[in-house]
Amino acid sequence: MPDFKPYLVIGLALGGVYAMSGVGLVVLYRTTGVLNLFYGAIGALGSLVAWQLINEYGWNEWVSFLAAILLAGVLTFLYGWILGPPLADRDPLVKASASLGFALILLGFMQWYWSTEVRTIALPTTNWQYVRAWLNINWTQAIGMIFPVVITILTTVLLNRTKVGTGMRALADNRDNSALLGIPVRKVEAVAWFGSGIMFGISGLLLASLVSMEIAALTFTLPVAALAAALIGRVESLWVTLIAAFVIGLMQSTLGAVSSVAQYRSTTPFVAAIVVLVWFGWRGQTSRRIA
Amino acid sequence: MSVDTRLPSILTAATPRRIVTFVVVVLIALLVLPAVLSTYWMKIMFEMAAYSLVTLGLGLLVGRTGMYSLCQIPMVAAGAWFALRVHYLFDGVPFPLILVMTAILTGLLGVVIGLPALRLSGLYLALVTLMAAGAITLLLTVVKFPNSNKGFWGFDKRVPSGQNVLPRPSLAESDIAFYRYTVVIVAIGFLIAAWHIKGKPGRAWGAIRQSEVTATAAGVNNTLYKLWAFALSAAVTGVAGAILVAGAGVTTQQFPVEQSILLLAVVLLGGVYNLWGALVAAFFMRVLPQILDKKLGLPPEVLTMLFGLGVMQVLLMQPKGVVEDLRNLGIFIGTKLGLVGRNERKALAAAEGGAA
Repeated sequence: MPDFKPYLVIGLALGGVYAMSGVGLVVLYRTTGVLNLFYGAIGALGSLVAWQLINEYGWNEWVSFLAAILLAGVLTFLYGWILGPPLADRDPLVKASASLGFALILLGFMQWYWSTEVRTIALPTTNWQYVRAWLNINWTQAIGMIFPVVITILTTVLLNRTKVGTGMRALADNRDNSALLGIPVRKVEAVAWFGSGIMFGISGLLLASLVSMEIAALTFTLPVAALAAALIGRVESLWVTLIAAFVIGLMQSTLGAVSSVAQYRSTTPFVAAIVVLVWFGWRGQTSRRIA
Repeated sequence: MSVDTRLPSILTAATPRRIVTFVVVVLIALLVLPAVLSTYWMKIMFEMAAYSLVTLGLGLLVGRTGMYSLCQIPMVAAGAWFALRVHYLFDGVPFPLILVMTAILTGLLGVVIGLPALRLSGLYLALVTLMAAGAITLLLTVVKFPNSNKGFWGFDKRVPSGQNVLPRPSLAESDIAFYRYTVVIVAIGFLIAAWHIKGKPGRAWGAIRQSEVTATAAGVNNTLYKLWAFALSAAVTGVAGAILVAGAGVTTQQFPVEQSILLLAVVLLGGVYNLWGALVAAFFMRVLPQILDKKLGLPPEVLTMLFGLGVMQVLLMQPKGVVEDLRNLGIFIGTKLGLVGRNERKALAAAEGGAA
């Protein structure tokens, strides 16, 4: 029997990071109808900017991380503010393709400005550790596990208990009718874009610290798990997305203990997403959420 | 005035202007380019020719049936792999037969990839194919693609992941000869695509793209024609893989996921509603980066940014892509030179309206 214990902590931490992006994707899709495919690139850009501020300009680490997260939020907001209205009535596929176009712009910029040399970024919380018996956990991993749960609770409260949240839910049902009822559509969408951007920025930093700072991987490969989790939640349920992300993270990590399949474990999110998408599609459950 | 009551087909579509354009382009590619370009640029032109089959395959899917596939680059890898396996299994099999067998095998794989399309469409289908591309790319790394050993499966984990090359046909062993061989294959590929588009499959795909319900009501077999589109697209792409592995060899690092996304970007940018858009897209993908690098001294990453901007511009303002701008430019120049009259312009616009 393989020993799964060493893989549990990193699996839960990874799952948490995926969950954070996944929740951001769900909130944004529910509000604007856009399945954002540049969220990985935004996270990658944030982590590279943080690296630059710390290592090249000597900024304080916490200030650099805050600046990186804010940059991710502002860029995501600007994309939504500028391109949201002209794409509002287009097919979801066109909206997603446009976000891929923005991902390419960010990817090209990052590869040009930072090249592809190997970099590492370690959050200060990585140095604080808790060790007891087989359990060895640092605070970055703990944040990765706890933060998404807190974010999901806060987002649920926001959606159900606040005026902005009510507006978001109204937009999710019908954008035109919401506007007719006097809901400030642009403002509500701006909140969704900015808030999701902040989540992408935080998860990008955590992912860069926990896994890798390789630009293409941070942009496309690694964040796929968040997309898979959001799709398992049918881009609708925050809690299903959260649980799915933790399960994907755990599976991806613990399969490392099984030598016969260890080398295939990176395919976990892809396979999970394919199975779920085909399953929902076969049962005709996709048409209501994503055409 | 007589009215042409024939159903659209490649024969009704083969107007003198189209035939002359096609022949001139093929002759330029076969005779003029090898005479005026250096060895380096001919290598780039070979890549453009091979990749025009890849862009053609994706353009067929996106433009004709409205189905987005982000799994086209792994199909190139699959084509290369099948070609190598057929070569190792049947030692001495003629190169054209390898191409045919590769097309059949990759076409069958395309059917498997296309199965979700029977119940999924739009964004969901695009995401399934993106996930499949990601999984296949990771598998390629794990199995040390294109791991080569004797026999069809012939996997040997001791073989390092390196470049693998397929022997070229005896009549096209030099680089220039193989480039010309590739141009002929590409021309055949475009003719096969045109034959499909202008015939019954094209009409069925058009109906499915407009509305699956209406297509079914009109008697179109949606299952058959959707899978047919995936099979044709994959077969054409697989042949490109076989040509690439014979021309320059392939390695694992050639097929990352971002290439699939970049491919979709250049195909949309080139134009998916016109077959010439596939050539424009292949030019963007293989030649333009070299021009920017060698002639203008700009890094290739700038092109990635331009592609991103181009995709957004196409989606927002010009869904017919750059090829439409080129076509309008050609009509404008032809009008100024007196080669295109007012009536011809109207006929061209009407034909375009009908095609769209």
